[in-house]
Amino acid sequence: MKIQRYRNYVLYGILQLSLIATVNAATDSAIQPKQKIDHTMHHNMQMDMDGMVMNANTDQLPRGCTEISEEVDITVKAGRKYALEMNGIMFTYNQRQWKVKPCSKVNVTFINDDHIRHQFMLHQLPPTIYPPYGMFNIEVTGPGQRTASFIVPNEDKTYLVHCDVAQHTENGMKAQLVVGKGNENGDLPSIPGVTPPIWADNYAVQWSSMSYTIAILSALASILLGVAIWFGLKTLASNTRGKTE
Amino acid sequence: MKNLFYILAILGVAAGIYYLATHLSGSPTEPPPATLPIVTSTAEESGLIKRYCAGEKLVKLRAAQVVDGVEINKSRVCRPDLPAQVAAFVKGTNQVAHQTLMKTNLALDSVVKSDDLDGDGDPDVIHIKLEVAELNGSTPDSSQVTPSFYVAPGIRPGLWAFAPKTRGMATKTSMTTEANDTLRLPSPAIRIEEGDTIKITLENTHYFPHTIHFHGVDHPFVAEDGTGNDGVPFASEKAVLPGDSHTYTFKPRRSGTDFYHCHVQTDKHLMMGLQGLFIVEENHPDNWLQTLNVGDGQVRHPSVAVKQKYDAEYDLHYQSVDRELGEIIQASHDPRLIAEQMNRNYDMTDATEDYFLLNGHSFPMTLIDSLVIVEPDQKLKFHMLNGQPSPVAIHFHGHKATITDYDGVNVPATNRITRDVFNIAPAQRIDLELSTTNDGLNSYGSGIWLFHDHSEKAITTDGISPGGNINMMAYSDYVGNDGVPKTRGMDLNIFFDPAYYEGKVPVWGSMGIPELLGQAATVTPSIKQLLLLGLLIGLLCLLLAGLIANLRTRRKS
Repeated sequence: MKIQRYRNYVLYGILQLSLIATVNAATDSAIQPKQKIDHTMHHNMQMDMDGMVMNANTDQLPRGCTEISEEVDITVKAGRKYALEMNGIMFTYNQRQWKVKPCSKVNVTFINDDHIRHQFMLHQLPPTIYPPYGMFNIEVTGPGQRTASFIVPNEDKTYLVHCDVAQHTENGMKAQLVVGKGNENGDLPSIPGVTPPIWADNYAVQWSSMSYTIAILSALASILLGVAIWFGLKTLASNTRGKTE
Repeated sequence: MKNLFYILAILGVAAGIYYLATHLSGSPTEPPPATLPIVTSTAEESGLIKRYCAGEKLVKLRAAQVVDGVEINKSRVCRPDLPAQVAAFVKGTNQVAHQTLMKTNLALDSVVKSDDLDGDGDPDVIHIKLEVAELNGSTPDSSQVTPSFYVAPGIRPGLWAFAPKTRGMATKTSMTTEANDTLRLPSPAIRIEEGDTIKITLENTHYFPHTIHFHGVDHPFVAEDGTGNDGVPFASEKAVLPGDSHTYTFKPRRSGTDFYHCHVQTDKHLMMGLQGLFIVEENHPDNWLQTLNVGDGQVRHPSVAVKQKYDAEYDLHYQSVDRELGEIIQASHDPRLIAEQMNRNYDMTDATEDYFLLNGHSFPMTLIDSLVIVEPDQKLKFHMLNGQPSPVAIHFHGHKATITDYDGVNVPATNRITRDVFNIAPAQRIDLELSTTNDGLNSYGSGIWLFHDHSEKAITTDGISPGGNINMMAYSDYVGNDGVPKTRGMDLNIFFDPAYYEGKVPVWGSMGIPELLGQAATVTPSIKQLLLLGLLIGLLCLLLAGLIANLRTRRKS
């Protein structure tokens, strides 16, 4: 079971690294937009000096959804200060896991508390509605906030949410959106506070007099146990011999 | 007495075993082994350089063109600078057409230009925003590194770079870990006009504190708004913490080729890549400058002054990397662990430089985007920066060039020196004028002329040659339409094979006489030798057992 889980993590690691390209092709054919999308459009991008939103979607139902099942408002705060409550990372969101029903409409208010760029980037949505890579993205270039919505397909799936500024994902800005029961394989790996990393750091080991004592006592105990077993077996053997004689 | 015998015998047998084990090969009576067939991947990798350089799209990108009213010079190299990006840097990301900006991955506030203060037809308030990108760093998701940037075939050292403020993904597409084209070494050359009001905002997207120090550029120690301006974290202002930003403001009164770099833990941060060229151009009317030159190399939109005097302009940035320093950011991702390793355990006085880069690449990848392509009777301008801890001595084959400026200060024409090796100390800059007139002094005629550092280790990649900062200056009749130089010697493709720099390829194996210069086969030890070795090991065991038995009997008695 544990090995299976670990293998899933590795698979997800690879998936995560290649930023989820493979599944796109499969979902592409399965889900059709309600109305035709102009693919020459620039990824439905709204941009100004303070940030941008890519592929905001308030009304296009993915195939499989007859209506919006629920409307969920989430407020996501991003910045260095949210990493203070955690060890070993530099940037993160105030919350790193959200759960919604299939066909939900998610209204995200994304607040950036830093003086640099951060993103709420979600992958693996149907590329027909979220062209060209199946990506929804809110980007705020400094202190400030922005609200946008997207609608998730009618499917149990766990979506990767992250900030793709170089090395921000690796430094803690990684989260998941669990739709319905989520992925069969379970949670995504290395989400701070949610799941352990696949490739963990090595920290220095500090031996105290207590740890030495415990190790030595344990060694002594095992020797004593060995001797006891040996004597026990010997006695048993001589007893048996005595009986047969 | 008996013990002494045992000990002597054991020593004797052990010596015999050692001799045999170290002399299993190369019996003088046996003929030398045969040559192994060449197992390099060069055969299948043939055409690798072509694959970098071919494609309709690239042909269009190379042509001279006007984008949004911005003239963009022809660039015949394999991977030319993106014309839309050049146009955005010339007009400002705030003023360029939306469609043009969409062809780049720049943020709208990446380079903001405004206010023609002197009324001479060009903007005089320039606001540049730089981020700090980590390349080839570790990830908690796998043992791979990301975002990936190759400095040479198969080689990805851990690096940092100042990068223009972008939008969207750090990678090229969502299907790859390959860094997008703006995330690379070197940090881009910055070009501004003398007298302009310059604001440079460092948005520290990295997990360590950083600053920018403007080396050689006219800037006040404290800016008008009272904030520190020199970038030294223990002298002028506090370093910019992760997630914070700081704006440096100045108005340079003098033109010249200068330098910018991070001044936090300078030894390490410089070598990691936080350094770039900073060029202050003369003030001229209608002088719209290409504010950033991503990847350095040819300037596709030169300044008015350069256009008046020269046919082409190139930025050449030399730097080096210690592999072990880069490995620190690949071994952990916890910033505290990386800081401990880098600041307290790593000792640069014991370090060696392993990779020598020109414009972020080592040979043969220098040919991809830094190849200098010239015509006869041209005059070229090179801005050269030595950003590495060791001096460089750049030698131009087939040409003698003239230094016009040292460290951004012009040399009077009568005092100029014409020569063929240019010594540049760490952090120094020179401006070089090179003429391609075939007169036996300036140029010896058409050809593919190498130019490289003549400190020999710098033409290797971790000891494998040719590599390092080797580049070529090719006359146009020696360059194909795809930007590949028509070399007349060894096939260039062999150098594009990562196995070559892993030391797995016999360098002269494909020169026509592999039997003589290829890879010698291994030899198998003879049965006689192996039997003898086995016997001796057995004997050693017996002797040891005998010795122990003897010691035990003696103790009992």
